[in-house]
Amino acid sequence: MLNRRNLLQGMAAGVGAAFGTPLIPNQLMASPVSNTTRKRVIFFMQNQGFDPKTCIPTGMSSSGSLAKAKLPEPINALEPYKDRLHIINGLHGMHTSPSHSAFFGALGGYRGSDGVPPSGPTIDYQLSRALPETLLPHLCIGMDSIENMTTKPTLATLSASGAGQPIFMHSNPNHLYQMLYGGIASGEIRRQHEARSSVMSQIERLAAAKDHALSKSDKLRYDQYVQGFQEVNGLRDRLASVSDHLRKFAPTVDTRYTNPEFETDWHDVLLDLGISALTSGITNTLTIGSGRGEIFGAWKGLGIEQQGHNLGHMDQPDNPIWIKIRQYNSRMLVRIMEALESVPEGSGTMMDHTLVVYTSNNADKQHTNGANWPVMLLGDLDGAFKTGCFTQLDGKRPINALYTSLLRAAGQNLDRFNMTETLAKKYDDATGPLKEVMA
Amino acid sequence: MSLYRTALPIALVAILFASSRVALAETYTPGQRIDARYGDFAKAFLETHCVDCHGEFDPEGDLSLHDLGPVEEVNADTWRSVWAQVKLKEMPPQDEEQPHVVDRLRFSDWIVGELSRVLEDKGGFFDHLDPNKGNFVDHDLLFGPLPDGIQLAPASTPARIWRVTPQEHITRLNELINAEPAFNPEMPGLRTHGDAVPTNHGGELKLYFGTDRIIKWQGGTVAYATSVKSVPAVLSTARDHGLENYPDFYTVNSAEATQIMSVAGDILRYMAEGPLSIANPEQITDDPNSYKMEGDIRGLPTALVYSTKVVRPITPVYDLLDEEGVTDERLRAAVDFLYEALTFRPPSEQESDAYVAIVKQSISKLGKKDGAVLGLSAIFLDRDALFRPELVEKGQPDRHGRVMMQDWELGLAVNHALRYIQPDEELRKAIVEGRMRTREDVRREVQRMLADDSIRKPRILRFFRDYFDYDRAGYICKDSKALADTGVSNRGTAHYRAMFDATASTDRLIELILKEDKDVLKELLTTNRVVATNADNVYFGRKRTDEERSEAVAEAKRAVAKATKEADAALEAAKTELSELEQFLDVHPEETRKRKGELAEKKRAVTTAQRKFDAATKKQKSNSNHAVEEAVLSGDRIYARVSRRSFGNGSMKPDRILATVPEGQRLGILTHPSWLVSHSDAMDNHAIRRGRWIRERLLGGGIPDVPITVDAMLPDEPQRTLRERMRVTRESYCATCHHKMDPLGLPFEMFNHAGVYREVELGKPVDTTGEIIDSGDPTLDGEVANAIEMIKRIAESERVEQVFVRHAFRFWIGRNETLNDAPVLQEAFHAYQDNGGSMKALLTSLLTSDAFLYRTKSGRLVAESK
Repeated sequence: MLNRRNLLQGMAAGVGAAFGTPLIPNQLMASPVSNTTRKRVIFFMQNQGFDPKTCIPTGMSSSGSLAKAKLPEPINALEPYKDRLHIINGLHGMHTSPSHSAFFGALGGYRGSDGVPPSGPTIDYQLSRALPETLLPHLCIGMDSIENMTTKPTLATLSASGAGQPIFMHSNPNHLYQMLYGGIASGEIRRQHEARSSVMSQIERLAAAKDHALSKSDKLRYDQYVQGFQEVNGLRDRLASVSDHLRKFAPTVDTRYTNPEFETDWHDVLLDLGISALTSGITNTLTIGSGRGEIFGAWKGLGIEQQGHNLGHMDQPDNPIWIKIRQYNSRMLVRIMEALESVPEGSGTMMDHTLVVYTSNNADKQHTNGANWPVMLLGDLDGAFKTGCFTQLDGKRPINALYTSLLRAAGQNLDRFNMTETLAKKYDDATGPLKEVMA
Repeated sequence: MSLYRTALPIALVAILFASSRVALAETYTPGQRIDARYGDFAKAFLETHCVDCHGEFDPEGDLSLHDLGPVEEVNADTWRSVWAQVKLKEMPPQDEEQPHVVDRLRFSDWIVGELSRVLEDKGGFFDHLDPNKGNFVDHDLLFGPLPDGIQLAPASTPARIWRVTPQEHITRLNELINAEPAFNPEMPGLRTHGDAVPTNHGGELKLYFGTDRIIKWQGGTVAYATSVKSVPAVLSTARDHGLENYPDFYTVNSAEATQIMSVAGDILRYMAEGPLSIANPEQITDDPNSYKMEGDIRGLPTALVYSTKVVRPITPVYDLLDEEGVTDERLRAAVDFLYEALTFRPPSEQESDAYVAIVKQSISKLGKKDGAVLGLSAIFLDRDALFRPELVEKGQPDRHGRVMMQDWELGLAVNHALRYIQPDEELRKAIVEGRMRTREDVRREVQRMLADDSIRKPRILRFFRDYFDYDRAGYICKDSKALADTGVSNRGTAHYRAMFDATASTDRLIELILKEDKDVLKELLTTNRVVATNADNVYFGRKRTDEERSEAVAEAKRAVAKATKEADAALEAAKTELSELEQFLDVHPEETRKRKGELAEKKRAVTTAQRKFDAATKKQKSNSNHAVEEAVLSGDRIYARVSRRSFGNGSMKPDRILATVPEGQRLGILTHPSWLVSHSDAMDNHAIRRGRWIRERLLGGGIPDVPITVDAMLPDEPQRTLRERMRVTRESYCATCHHKMDPLGLPFEMFNHAGVYREVELGKPVDTTGEIIDSGDPTLDGEVANAIEMIKRIAESERVEQVFVRHAFRFWIGRNETLNDAPVLQEAFHAYQDNGGSMKALLTSLLTSDAFLYRTKSGRLVAESK
């Protein structure tokens, strides 16, 4: 019941950084240094809802160009990029139970809630498999209060590789740095990396030594277990073999890693690591959970003293706190775009082959029925999506339709994502991708 | 009865004379490789039995077999279909000449062998090993007399490794950091040490850290859930219906291994430091007020206060990390302890040395604490911590090539048959002292464990979950409007929580029936008892018709109006009395002191009357549920095993009552909402799935896979009943399979898709009729008026009990039965039957059977015909 495909699917399911097939380094790092055109998608999920008034230019009530519009204060950092921006209002997620948070349902397009395990793969995971392969097809990072990120450095609330198979996001930048760049690090991180590498190698050796007396079919299954360690250890070796390449992209470790003053220090360096995984070509899909999919979160580094649940009880429009958070998000989006624009790829830059999906894991506000689920797209993924415009939909197509569009753009031929025809009759008045957003 | 009684001796005779008959060309041994070429063997079968109808011209079902040819990748799907049809005796049709039973078996085995060979490096062929196709083995051959020419091989099971399930794994890890309460015979239903770690309020399986020490927290239940450290199950499963855990289903992938390593570090730190590993020192105090939570810190780990009382297990890992420096003795003790805690057996000297060396090396690189944590984490990834081996590396094969498991392998197999935690002291002692080597040894331990309620046996309950599939209800996503139409609450997560509660309630009901151990299956199917929560008054209620609902609303209004009027009058009277007294005292102030008490009493009377009036007014405004006539469930207090320790005040509550279901409306757990909703979908009942369940799990029938050409959709016609919409399955192409399922599922239309009883659907009397067709037991066949009549009939059937035994065999032996297992199945059935429907007797028989005790390394004789 296991085969190579299952194995690969299984390997990609789990730790936020999932391991793909062993690729030779020059294939792996093709993106920045060769002519091969790759694609990548970034999901930025801010918790507590995304009020449309904080992104739709004043006076715009119907679809149209953003060229002459002025972006609202919370997202004004995107003003120079509005030719690449597509604001979408009027998708829905009523079937996802998004009040407080749809959790896995936000990216899965199915019912989610606190404590409810994922009932299927999420769109980020599916895209990571559909896009041209990278060493770590999928990387998830999560931003939260410093206490939560320290106590629970990995957490799974947003992404999944299948039913009951959550994917963990990384929140401790030291751990993530060690995983990605331990081989080129120095000092404590290097020591930790080497010790861990040594233990993992010995685990592989011990596991391999216990494969005797197995039947042919059991041996196949057990070999996959042993191969798992080979993948982990092989990944390290492959990263080491392209260390010169990685050095160009790896962020510099500073005191924000080891001694953060505010949680936003870690948010910033986690983003640096996420960006570096994209620019170095290690990953093709990055999921950022700001607030980690839950109903809390803190941004004290922005001068916001209030934290947690109360942030969600506030109206977002014209609220100084939410203006700060959304501006912070927007600056992060700009950092992502600037970084990707700085890397040549094909006849242009990485950003030309990239799409950023910015939204919330609980639709438009904290207590919501999901009747409106605003989304911003940045970039066009090789010309697949329209840009520079605002699209007002009629609330009759679910977020699943957007996800179908993403998979279509990634070359998958499907009409629906995670939605049965029975449910679609109730929640979707069309089939296929969202034609309003496709170029 | 006599038919079955004679079957066992016949089978044994066949074995005894095996050596003399094996040379005869016409004898057939199930599972034996059929060395024959297509042209010499299979072609003739097809030409004799198939090609007349499935020939070159105008073939039946548009399927031509005249030029099918040898099994190849390109025609594998066709051969797969041929195998299913022939194996299930669907083909040749009943009105055609039938092949001899041995010819049919040999032909089926040949196809399996050829498909396995051809598809070996193309994903393989495993249909015959899939539990959902276990019924493809002819029931009458398993329990009836064997025809001439069949020679059974002695039962045994291929040597194998068996990956632990997510629930076993979490329960195993939980043992390291949480001390669960001891069994309390006064409250036997409460979750206790040895029970499985249950899923939480949302159905998620998680390992929680330190919840047994939390004495204060800020915020509500969601804040609590966020602030508490927890990790979800890491190991994955792909199945959620039926038997989910055959040994050959799963492995551990690299992502899981990496995450296990990470979780291991968290666990080891908690073993060493307790809550200090996840909290600040000032949060650990017995005076919760001494820890000041400033501002709104809900959802943060700092919003928790832990008591100072150490409740986690204190182990050699603690000793190692607590003590200054590192001694070899402490280090080895920690390694050996952890190894046994995770693999359930002590390490060999070589294993112990290997892990001691790893830990030492890590300590030399990272220092004591970080090094010990990293090095010890390696043990969490040992093969035997994630897979349970049954490899019979020790022991001599008997003349049939079978080796009996012994010592730790046998002891752990017995332990695993019942439990998720380490062997208890007595079993461990028996293993260590060499008293786990014989069938009698196994019988002794099994009977001892089965007799002792304090030895929790969650795997038995797991079997019933797998068999009945009643534990899916909370995971069935409901459309909000469709749910509201059923009459139950669709507010927030109320329905889903009610369903997870219902699963725990059904668990408990099954435990009660197992405790009685009398006619277990029949009782499960026909009990009039229910373990209930308050919400079950609605779920076990009756959906009102529109007219009844209107009348109920009007009646409620009248009652409220009357109560309000009475309360108003009482309030006015009280006010008047008070006013009169006050006026009197105004005029006669000298009386004030004397009548002080009377004045106070009249004021109180006004307050009380005002409260009653307010309550009556509030009721007037309340939005009571008039859609359902609630059941009146009452009975003794009882408890269910729920995740009470994981979710603060929002935990699922264990409190239940043991009540009687409304007569004439319910019968047995198939009529309980937990089962009904588990077999429903977002919008409606799922009559096909229900019918399939009855066909497979009770009648022992097999359903071939849905042909890929079938677009399995019912028309979307909201104004028609499910039965009416299912007309498409009655069309000729679909009916071949659907007549086996639909008429068995439609009698459950007496319930709506939330499991509420109904007599009317879409304004008309609901049609609850159905029919049992071709069950294999003629006394069962015939029309039924509703689910209750059908269940009553089925519950009397001996065949149904045999099918139940077949499923128990699959669960505990971990593979599909073959004809070679006929003696084991018959003996297990008789053990069950002769002991008054005793699950304990059935289990003892299965766990002392050759199929359980013996392993073959070659897989030559049984099951693994590939």
